[in-house]
Amino acid sequence: MDQSKGKALQLDADHAAFIQGAVSVVVSSRNSQHVPDVVRGCGCRVSRDRRRVTVLVEAARTGSVLDDIATNGLIAVVFSQPSTHRTIQLKGSDARITRVTGADRGIAQRHLRAWVQDLQLIGYAADFARAVRGEAPDLVAVTFTLAAAYLQTPGPAAGQRLEQ
Amino acid sequence: MTQPITLHSIRACLEGAVPAVVATCAGDGTPNVSYISEVHYVDPGHVALSYQFFSKTRQNVLENPRATVLVIHPDTGAQYKLAAGYLRTEDSGPLFECMKAKLAGIASHAGMTGVFRLRGADVYRVDSVTQVYRTSLTPAAASASSLAQVRCCIERLSATSDLASLLDTLLESLRDVLGIRHSMVLMREPTGQALYTVASRGYTASGVGAEIRPGEGVIGAAALSRTPIRIAHATSEFGYGRAMRDDATRLGITAGIESAIPLPGLPESQSQIAVPILAGERLLGVLFAESIETGRFGYDEEDALVVVARHAGSAVAMLEEGEAIDSDRPVARSAAPAPRGAPIRVRRYVENDSIFVGDEYMIKGVAGAILWKLLRDFVNEGRTEFSNRELRLDPAIRLPDLSENLEARLILLQRRLEERCPSLRIEKTGRGQFRLHVNRPLTLAEIGRHQ
Repeated sequence: MDQSKGKALQLDADHAAFIQGAVSVVVSSRNSQHVPDVVRGCGCRVSRDRRRVTVLVEAARTGSVLDDIATNGLIAVVFSQPSTHRTIQLKGSDARITRVTGADRGIAQRHLRAWVQDLQLIGYAADFARAVRGEAPDLVAVTFTLAAAYLQTPGPAAGQRLEQ
Repeated sequence: MTQPITLHSIRACLEGAVPAVVATCAGDGTPNVSYISEVHYVDPGHVALSYQFFSKTRQNVLENPRATVLVIHPDTGAQYKLAAGYLRTEDSGPLFECMKAKLAGIASHAGMTGVFRLRGADVYRVDSVTQVYRTSLTPAAASASSLAQVRCCIERLSATSDLASLLDTLLESLRDVLGIRHSMVLMREPTGQALYTVASRGYTASGVGAEIRPGEGVIGAAALSRTPIRIAHATSEFGYGRAMRDDATRLGITAGIESAIPLPGLPESQSQIAVPILAGERLLGVLFAESIETGRFGYDEEDALVVVARHAGSAVAMLEEGEAIDSDRPVARSAAPAPRGAPIRVRRYVENDSIFVGDEYMIKGVAGAILWKLLRDFVNEGRTEFSNRELRLDPAIRLPDLSENLEARLILLQRRLEERCPSLRIEKTGRGQFRLHVNRPLTLAEIGRHQ
């Protein structure tokens, strides 16, 4: 496991704002055979103390991701802004499925709008961007405590740990 | 929502138009997810992922080969999941070269030129493909390159009986059948030092005689790696236009006079494809096409051009064999009436066989040596009828390989004269035979190295 397992990290305000903005959210897990799975998410929220992150996913697309998480709690999520390529990855080992709130549905709606706008900035058609993201009528929330955070913007610094 | 789909049927997702993601798992069980610039279709059972930096993904697959790749259809936005197993990394060879060029285009599109650099092609076996999400958008119209159209191109090629018409038919069938309007054929110098343009379509100037070196741009890369190379977005890294200009600056001054012929090209070119023309394993040349549309040439167009170029390569080889036999026939030698008018001065620079008619650069190299022999025989003996055979046997011409490429050089010479020199013309009179037409008196001057 990551060396920082069990140690609760804290995101700085800038990164917290970044991952709750116009970013692609991609969630991955692995099963007992160490076979990974992956699903594109629909937004996220960061706890007030910035130590926990909740990602929203559309249930119908999750494959084995939710089962994997329910079984072992391991999660890796990459957040990337399409127009800037700015990217970070967060990991956790206590992920669990949590209740979707009314606020979460609002977050997903705002994420859809912001993400589509960001893709339009780099030349994608709005209807294409909306189609990729989908309306996500059946949201599931997955919450985890930050165990590790990495910079992943393309370039030689990719893979470095975020300074805490 | 999940149904089995073949890798082949989702090739459009593997063009790099929309970034893909790959999930992996470390040996200790920690999952990882990362963006991947290029997921490339290798064959119905394999893909290759671009290896650009030593990343966690790469470290993970070396420990645990299982990976899951999520790709997005560029027209519909539908998502597909590939269950894959890492096999090996290739850091040279056709797959590497092909991905390197494509990545340069992707990088250019993403504003990442100089950041995205291919270190290796990570080859994965694909165990299953599933659709995870469907959208209401419909894919773009089916590709223009159907099997029926490829067949039509090949039938047109089969109806040709000499190299010049074969090359013209090749480019015209691309235009008429496949809708590819800007294209050219470059033949390989038997020495392997250069490729020279012998035919083109769709450009203001034909560029016949323009040269490119192996390794330069998409054309040079295709020649060197003997594999199709294509890019979907303009990139300075593979911009053959720039390489040519640099070359012209560096090499073009011969005896103080500009002697480089500019390669034709679309200034606004976005999509480019170069396909080797092979006869068996022998590289004869490169078929090149380009478009101002982005993403004009996909996997289907590549398949079509590869099949057509393969067929053309075999046809060229058959014509070469036929020509070698036919040109053994003796040539009737007749004296032509002496031309009238003011004489034209023709100069040959011995150093590289470059020929100038008046002040205009005409041709150099082997084609230059051929022209000089013809003009010399015309001036000294009044000869106008010639055979390929005697050119092959003439020690002054120094054909690098007697069996190769003479016909292509004659086409080059013939077309160059047609475009640039109204006083001289070469006319084919039969297989392996041709006639020189001269309509002005000539004075010949050789300029040696030390003058």
